[in-house]
Amino acid sequence: MKIVKRVYLGLILLFLYVPILVMIILSFNGGRSWAQWGGFSFQPYADLFANKRVLNPLIVTITIAILASLFSTIIGTLAAIGIFSMKRKPQSMMMTLTNIPMTMPDIVTGVSLLLLFIFLNIKRGYITMLLAHITFDVPYVIVSVLPKLKQMNKHSYEAALDLGATPIYSLFHVIIPEIAPGIVTGALLSFTLSIDDFTISYFAASGSNVQNLSTLIYSSARKGIKAELFALSTIMFVVMLVLLILINRTPKSEKAKNA
Amino acid sequence: MIDEQPRLITLENISKAYDDVTVLNNINLYIRKKEFVTLLGPSGCGKTTTLRIIGGFETPDAGRVIFDDMDVTGLPPYKRRVNTVFQKYALFPHLNVRDNIAFGLKIKKTPKTEIDRKVDKMLDLVNLQGFQKRSVDSLSGGQQQRIAIARALVNEPEVLLLDEPLGALDLKLRKEMQIELKNMQQRLGITFLYVTHDQEEALTMSDTIVVMRNGEILQIGKPKQIYDEPKNAYVANFIGESNIFRGKMLQDELVEFCNNKFICVDSGFGENVPVDVVIRPEDIIIVGEDVGQITGTVKSVLFKGVHFEMIIDAGHSTWKVHSTTMQPEGSRVGLSVVPFNIHIMKPMQDGWYPYQEKEVTAND
Repeated sequence: MKIVKRVYLGLILLFLYVPILVMIILSFNGGRSWAQWGGFSFQPYADLFANKRVLNPLIVTITIAILASLFSTIIGTLAAIGIFSMKRKPQSMMMTLTNIPMTMPDIVTGVSLLLLFIFLNIKRGYITMLLAHITFDVPYVIVSVLPKLKQMNKHSYEAALDLGATPIYSLFHVIIPEIAPGIVTGALLSFTLSIDDFTISYFAASGSNVQNLSTLIYSSARKGIKAELFALSTIMFVVMLVLLILINRTPKSEKAKNA
Repeated sequence: MIDEQPRLITLENISKAYDDVTVLNNINLYIRKKEFVTLLGPSGCGKTTTLRIIGGFETPDAGRVIFDDMDVTGLPPYKRRVNTVFQKYALFPHLNVRDNIAFGLKIKKTPKTEIDRKVDKMLDLVNLQGFQKRSVDSLSGGQQQRIAIARALVNEPEVLLLDEPLGALDLKLRKEMQIELKNMQQRLGITFLYVTHDQEEALTMSDTIVVMRNGEILQIGKPKQIYDEPKNAYVANFIGESNIFRGKMLQDELVEFCNNKFICVDSGFGENVPVDVVIRPEDIIIVGEDVGQITGTVKSVLFKGVHFEMIIDAGHSTWKVHSTTMQPEGSRVGLSVVPFNIHIMKPMQDGWYPYQEKEVTAND
């Protein structure tokens, strides 16, 4: 039984990671054809960094990820505090409204945002992509922060007021420090989601020449696949991997501190 | 003397309801400077809500809170000259012991050397010298409690509000802390408003006890006064142990209960009016069967350390008696009470009576 279990697990992991592994290997392909092995080489990476077309989308991806996670963390944290202090009924209603966008297919979010931008006559480009990213990041921040608020001693805030702190002072010196682990998780999560997003970005900036890495890879792949695309995808994969490890480590180190 | 101190806090006709459930119904109360006042009652009696209204965490639906001749009813907690020790301490887990205590001082922009001096002084006061750098999570319940008290007292409040602060501690530690708190209060000369459901705690520590039930104040008085002269059967039953009987006041200084007439010292109730009668177990004297006002059989004997607790079945009534001499189970005894120890009370307005069911079966 033990062997069956292990083989089963191995197969699942294999199916999951073989495509990525193949891509990573091919990103070090020195040959001309992208499908045939032509010896180990960093050439695709050299090509990638020499390619001027990649630089702009890279800057777009990074700046949007930073700005979107910054704004969505602020908005989401404040929203979570607001939802937390609501009475039970409006609270559960707000949580449903928070959960719907997370379960909604990206394509629906993307198309509806595109329609909204057209309806409001906003020119598609960098700003619309940023707004779209903030929109889909906020619910994830809320669900990261809310559990931390629920864990907080319910009298902490009152104790701060009692000691002479104004509500604003209490927010910054008591509430936010106590829920900080949740805020950091939310920020990292939205940064990751933002770097990784294709569908919503594609619609939100459609018709403009603003591209992030995902949309660049998509449009380049249609013109013809080159090994430098694999190199770019590999870099993105590694960045995501590091971020995910960071996110998963935050709650653990928190537990270790409390123990 | 406490009685000569000026009034510091006055509650005027305070009422409060949550979703149509009345929590406080027309509360009137004043607290003197340097007084140790305890709000005592079962859970849900409104004692914590009263404390939270004085702390500024709740606004009453009606009535006023007066602090030193100033109406503070609508004032937020951070503008009031009171500090609170919360039930679960509510220390800030992201700050160490020193920074927890210094929290209020930092807001007041106290210079750092002064903060350090005051924090050290407070740690001395609560007997936790050298704990400055410790994280609050590493402290025991009793130590966290002391830090919570230090954090409140360092701000030199005029009134300290304590919401069941010893509830989470074990019995021995609780008793020690009771004495420590009382000493602290007397040494510092601060007004304490203390909330508890523990009648023994209230009797030990307070200058004044306020007994509450269902959002109303039943009696305000000194511990001895409340014990010796409870205003009604509920207070008598809640504070200390007691025998409570339904009776009839035949005339001044003559009461009938348990099918017997007793001479008492109370008067002014009128003639032939129903009353409740309370007799404390330690005030009943066991005498020979032939000379007792009541006779009965010893049903059970419990050894309680200082005294024996005997339950005596007298046919229509059951008596709880505390005595240092033991009568064996099953023996026939006579009971006697001197008139001074028979305490007559008006019946509760809602007809409340501690052991209704027993009385019904006893009359069968």
